[in-house]
Amino acid sequence: MTGFLGRHRRALIITVLLVLVSPVFGVVLAEMVGYHEPLDVAAEKLGLPDKTSELNWTPFLDYTVPGLPETLGYIVAGLLGIAVILGLGALLHRLAARRGREG
Amino acid sequence: MHIPDGFLDPYMSAATYAAFLGYLVYALRRVGNLLDPPKASLVTVLAAGIFAAQMLNWPIPGGTSLHFVGGGLAGILLGPYLGFLAMFMVLLVQTLVFHDGGITALGANMLNMGVVAVLAGYHAYRYLKPRTGEFAAALVGGWLSITLAGLATGLEIGVSPTLGYHLDVTVPVMTVWHAALGIVEGVATALIVARVKALLPEVVAG
Repeated sequence: MTGFLGRHRRALIITVLLVLVSPVFGVVLAEMVGYHEPLDVAAEKLGLPDKTSELNWTPFLDYTVPGLPETLGYIVAGLLGIAVILGLGALLHRLAARRGREG
Repeated sequence: MHIPDGFLDPYMSAATYAAFLGYLVYALRRVGNLLDPPKASLVTVLAAGIFAAQMLNWPIPGGTSLHFVGGGLAGILLGPYLGFLAMFMVLLVQTLVFHDGGITALGANMLNMGVVAVLAGYHAYRYLKPRTGEFAAALVGGWLSITLAGLATGLEIGVSPTLGYHLDVTVPVMTVWHAALGIVEGVATALIVARVKALLPEVVAG
């Protein structure tokens, strides 16, 4: 799937490394310090209801993976997300190549 | 920055979806002339990198946190339309696979991070580069992109025909916080643009 990205191998390696260290920032430090975006602050002031749990459709909610501890799940979810993006990119690449041949 | 389900009034949800879909059609037409296989590869690798970078939340003592958004970076490196395409891929996967950002707020999130942030980064960089040099232009572009995206988010959650209007609360909170936290986005954007320009000088769109 990644053949069309051969020139960008180094960028892909850095991307995977970011995912491997991401639980430090996305899970461990977030739990230690408290994770609260400005959007959460505004929503609290207005009493806006977060309906994510009520409307949820995915087993990978908030970058978790059922059956895995939070940190490992965060990494697996990150790799899954990258794989889906590379899959979309492969389709995009094929479309661009076809247009080039036709054009 | 990702608006979840429940934060948007139904009218605002519909309006932002309509605006996003209109821009999507327009951008895809423009992308058609720009997209060759090397550009498709670049869009993909940048989308993957931004997705990974957004997973690194930086908690700030006191309870506030931020993460890299990347819209300004995408605009500077790829231009307004291919940059939008990269952010479209990121936000689509975040929403559909991880429910990070609500399905009712997908239009708003696309507008904020895929349109406003990308256009702000792209135009700020292009305007400032001959005047301030590349690094400062990319820094301001990254900072402005997240600040204006924050402002747009504040406008969207603050305008609610059914729940009332609270722009006096939402706009200051979203804009001031993102303007402060956005300095990190600006520095990160400038460093990445400088690195990419050194490795792939033909890439930077601005």
